[in-house]
Amino acid sequence: MMQESSISINNVSFSYEGYEHIPLFSNLHLEVPKGSHMLLLAPPDSGKSTLARLLCALVPKYQAGTFSGSLIVGGKDVTESEPWELTDICSLVCQDPQEQLLMTTCKDEIAFPLESLKVDKPTMERRVKESLKSWNLHHVGEANPQELSGGERKRLLLAVTEAIAAPVLILDEPFDDLDAYWRGELINRIQTSNSTVLVMASRYINEFHGTFDRYGLLLDRHIEVESEEDIVMRFETMCDAAFAPSKIEHLATHAHKICCEHVVALHPRKSMGELKPFTLHCDKFHLESEEIVALVGPNGSGKSTFSRALCGLDEVQSGTFSYDDAQVERKHLQRIVGYVFQNPDFELFLPTVKDELMWSIKNDLRKSKDEKESLVATCATMFGLNLNATVATMGYGMRKHLQAAIHYMLNRPFYILDELDSGITYAAAFEMVTLLKSRGAGILLITHDRSFAANLAERTYTMSKGTLIAEAFE
Amino acid sequence: MADNTNHSRQSSKVALKISLVAILTAVVVVFTMVPKIATPVVKGYISLCDVVICFAAFLFGPWVAAIAGGLGSALADLLGGYAQWAPFSLIVHGLQGMIMGCIALPTKKKNQTTLNTPVWRMALAGVVGMVVMVAGYYLTASLFYGFEPALVEVPLNLLQSGVGVIIGIIVAKSTVLAYPPVLSFMR
Amino acid sequence: MTTNMFIAGKGWLYTLDSRAKLIGLLLFCIQVFLPMRQIGVWFLVLLSIAVAIRSVGWAQAFSPLRMVFPVLLVMLMFVPFTYRDGDSMFIIGSLTIATRESILQFSKFASRFIAITYLCILFFWTTTMATILATLRWFGLPYRQSLVITLAFRFVPFIAEAFKMISDSHAMRESTYGQKVHKRNRIKDIMPTVTAALVFSLKSIPNLAMSLEHRGFGRSNVRTTFRSLETNRSLFTHCALSVIICVLFWILFHS
Repeated sequence: MMQESSISINNVSFSYEGYEHIPLFSNLHLEVPKGSHMLLLAPPDSGKSTLARLLCALVPKYQAGTFSGSLIVGGKDVTESEPWELTDICSLVCQDPQEQLLMTTCKDEIAFPLESLKVDKPTMERRVKESLKSWNLHHVGEANPQELSGGERKRLLLAVTEAIAAPVLILDEPFDDLDAYWRGELINRIQTSNSTVLVMASRYINEFHGTFDRYGLLLDRHIEVESEEDIVMRFETMCDAAFAPSKIEHLATHAHKICCEHVVALHPRKSMGELKPFTLHCDKFHLESEEIVALVGPNGSGKSTFSRALCGLDEVQSGTFSYDDAQVERKHLQRIVGYVFQNPDFELFLPTVKDELMWSIKNDLRKSKDEKESLVATCATMFGLNLNATVATMGYGMRKHLQAAIHYMLNRPFYILDELDSGITYAAAFEMVTLLKSRGAGILLITHDRSFAANLAERTYTMSKGTLIAEAFE
Repeated sequence: MADNTNHSRQSSKVALKISLVAILTAVVVVFTMVPKIATPVVKGYISLCDVVICFAAFLFGPWVAAIAGGLGSALADLLGGYAQWAPFSLIVHGLQGMIMGCIALPTKKKNQTTLNTPVWRMALAGVVGMVVMVAGYYLTASLFYGFEPALVEVPLNLLQSGVGVIIGIIVAKSTVLAYPPVLSFMR
Repeated sequence: MTTNMFIAGKGWLYTLDSRAKLIGLLLFCIQVFLPMRQIGVWFLVLLSIAVAIRSVGWAQAFSPLRMVFPVLLVMLMFVPFTYRDGDSMFIIGSLTIATRESILQFSKFASRFIAITYLCILFFWTTTMATILATLRWFGLPYRQSLVITLAFRFVPFIAEAFKMISDSHAMRESTYGQKVHKRNRIKDIMPTVTAALVFSLKSIPNLAMSLEHRGFGRSNVRTTFRSLETNRSLFTHCALSVIICVLFWILFHS
């Protein structure tokens, strides 16, 4: 007897409007039986978020494109449904909670879909209370989700999902922002859940081992389902290939050094859970040209505060910064250290790649227009960018490349890369770091992924509860 | 296997309209409260709220600009502690948005890639909007502290509005160039 | 940036039903513009300050005064010069600085302004945003409009933070190393930030619409309500109390 399928993807093809020649999916097939828990590994930019949205009838409604095939979720034909018809059938947890949050209090966030489902008030109140408690958010019930930490927001979305209690759950990178304890909790809840769960991830973490009963790989527009060992091995091989030795020429430059001593800075309160803002302490830190130094630490530990102080964006309460052994003022730090924000969209505002790159060197009066154009063209080729591509249509990975290229053009002696590895492949991240380093810059890599740091950095600093500590050289 | 290219795109654009108005309202609030440019005199500072109202009017028409402008500046007044100005801001900026949107009514052509409202039309809308805003606030201020003292605010409001219109026209064009999908949000 | 105006405090104003508070606020604001004896309006001002002290404490209670101070200063500068009839009150040499009439006018405008400031601020200090929206909906505000307001409040802190980061990132980008720092042109400098901030906000629109529909918005025109205000006897008592206080005020102080 054939087991009833909860998720049935049959011969699905999809391509974005205007990009029919590079389809996102080609004849995709996947059957997830009812009650099954599946892990779908997919490298970044492979379309997993679009797939998740396809399953919820949000695409092609909100992202124009050509779609063909059959999608059946929880017994309902998705291609013939409006998104609201699937509210109680299929729940999605997005990778970025900010894309999903709607309301101004946590309780309202959970109540909103229940109101849509016309649940009566007493039942609603009970379900809201229970799901808040279940994810340890009952003390922030009336708080604004914007004042919560990243992990708490993720848990809030998971609480919403629990309150709706839909038979199909699609979780896109749910483990991303969670700390070790909650990762374990989520694993437990997935294992004991009666619903059909589809987890999408772009990194394999140890907790996945033995948790799921199905493993799949989304690669080259197809999905392949195999045993756990096979899938994991193939995925790891893909990731390891990233760290190939660099073949980029190094240009001889001056050597510079930046130091900070006895820096004390105020760390702004990020979460309701913290009673008062704590102070950041850094006794000794230094970074030299052509060095890659990593700064690791859990989310909210103060890495951003330190970085913002180092590049001169924020004031410090006490301490000194010195550049080439001469004390330097905050204003000058901005010209010495380039800060590559985690979100590339903060920097981009011009129509094409060429416009953005030209903007970066517009203040350089020593070069002629032709020299600037050839510099821009070389830079674009190095970073794999098409000069005439429009920024609005570029995917996340390419926008990150553009952001790196912009900073390359700025030619700063030092760069701070904030969580560069999130949302892109290891290979791409490695390439960007190498390219930025090729002009002799010193790099400070901020990450919470220790293996990424270990593979790239020569020295590591740890941020723990506001104190910067140098790790012993192995 | 059905080809569902245009399936369900005709049905219910309410969510998109609500989202558009809500986010533009939030942008008005932020632009009014965050960038503080001039010295604090009577009302406090010149803000960039006129920039957003122009932007909304040039791109989305009278209704969106009226609601985003009116509601947004009223909320900004509430949050800033100037609650007594809120109902008046609602009316003045609401009217400003509506009139500007009517004059510079955006056209809805298929496959439009740029904002093709002529600059003179946007400038005219901007100037009329300026008059509405300055006159409106003058009347409000005279209600609170008399006709003559209220004149103090007029030059400052003119400056704010004028700067807002100029930036608004430039920004409307540059935003469409930087992010063409915005044209598909137009009704 | 916080969108929360509510201050947790104590006092009867917190227990008064929000609908009664809204009615009281409106009635008092209208009254203040009607012909009233000066003493009445100033009494209202003192009463409001007293209630503020009781509700939120001494430190916070005087913050509205600090905010209206610039306005009062302008009034002080201009009102005496506009109303020049009547007996002279302040004279320096042969120049009349202020007449009796102008002082009365100043008193009228100042008291009115301060009174309204306090009344409005007390309302927002003692009522949570969620309750205010529920009150408006009770009075008939359609669901869609209240949703727009809630969504706007949800996005204000998000966009404000993004604006700050965008502004920082462009400031960093513009810093030139080794070049002479030339005078910055204000308008040209904020263009990239403003454009990037607008694009950033516009990109959130489809995500918001998707999330709304995914969570069931549009499923039906009928929705249940999580936060609804009850209609019961105490509501009537509270509203009556509100109205009675206003009417009493009018009887005592109208001119």
